[in-house]
Amino acid sequence: MLSIDECMSKQMKTFKYNLEEFASKHKQEIHKSSQFRVQFQEMCATIGVDPLASGKGFCWQSQRLLEMLGVGDFYHKLGLQIIEVCLALKHLHGGERVHHQGRGKSAQDVSQDDLVRAIKKLKAMENGFGVISVGSSYLVQSVPAELNMDHTVVLQLAEKKGYISVSEIRESLKWERERVCHVLEHLLKEGLAWLDSQASGEPQYWLPALFSELTSLDVTPEETNQMTP
Amino acid sequence: MSFEWPWQYNFPPFFTLQPNVDTRQKQLAAWCSLALSYCRHHKLYTLGIMEVQECPVFNHKNIDRKLSTEAILIVFEELRKKGNLEWLDKNKTQCLVMWRRPEEWGKLIYQWVSKNGMVNTVFTLYELANGDDTESEEFHGLEEWMLIRSLQALQTDGKAEVITMDDGKGVKFF
Repeated sequence: MLSIDECMSKQMKTFKYNLEEFASKHKQEIHKSSQFRVQFQEMCATIGVDPLASGKGFCWQSQRLLEMLGVGDFYHKLGLQIIEVCLALKHLHGGERVHHQGRGKSAQDVSQDDLVRAIKKLKAMENGFGVISVGSSYLVQSVPAELNMDHTVVLQLAEKKGYISVSEIRESLKWERERVCHVLEHLLKEGLAWLDSQASGEPQYWLPALFSELTSLDVTPEETNQMTP
Repeated sequence: MSFEWPWQYNFPPFFTLQPNVDTRQKQLAAWCSLALSYCRHHKLYTLGIMEVQECPVFNHKNIDRKLSTEAILIVFEELRKKGNLEWLDKNKTQCLVMWRRPEEWGKLIYQWVSKNGMVNTVFTLYELANGDDTESEEFHGLEEWMLIRSLQALQTDGKAEVITMDDGKGVKFF
């Protein structure tokens, strides 16, 4: 079980590693675009990172990598959500207000609302993240899933309906069957996806995390207790 | 009061035996829990495999999904391992479901008996499980096989004695 600080830095490291992998695969495509830049700045503001300060975790190279991700990328969102939760929980633990540094976004305190929202998102994610209550505070138990860009892209596709099939992936991404199956096998292995073999036509792969969100469950204290993996 | 279905009941893959071992474990645990709650709610003590397949728990018509016979048997095996189920025959066509263990039933019955100052009274099994006096009690309608086991549990504790009478069995509480 990791402390919140360890959890945060581990996630950041994984996040960064995946970004670097992605960039090395798409070297030719790296270019600057104003749309990416704006989104990137906003994202940095949200997580309290100042891209222009040196030695703060993100160097300029990483920033270019972040730009390449673009908005709507599942892993990008996942990383943000994790960080958001960690920040919110840090607030709960320390009893201090955590300030989001503003650059493009106005400074925000992490409030109780943020905390509740973050925990709801966590509940929906169900990628091995457990929130365990310890008295009146919470510990985040993190078992990060190993995801590469192929996995991420497929998860993104599945986001629309909460499930996806082999043909749908092939049609969208033009991948070979083997590549698709490889990704789906991994998602099953990580517990992110469940198999539905009674769907008409071909098997479907459902994401319970998204299903929970679609059926909008509310977090109750008892349920929070049950969320240990 | 109608039965409250858990979210998994509406999740189509819940009815497919999951290939991933860890996921399957979670799935089976959820099925065991659902099966027991359902039986508890409807006061089912005996199940026949044939009827069970058509039971709403395992056959969710609204989403057109059902748990296969193979999977049902796997769930039942899990229940058996946990002590919540007993097969009545070798062919596994009928089983007893114990959503409450005999000791727990015994405790409930004894509580009622002592609360009503009926210690040292003799009851017939029929009176206990089906009499007017016990109509509002949870153990009302308890099937005989379970009733006997519950009373035997109390007997082991020295709180009751099962006696044979002219026209059946009875019990005296201490």
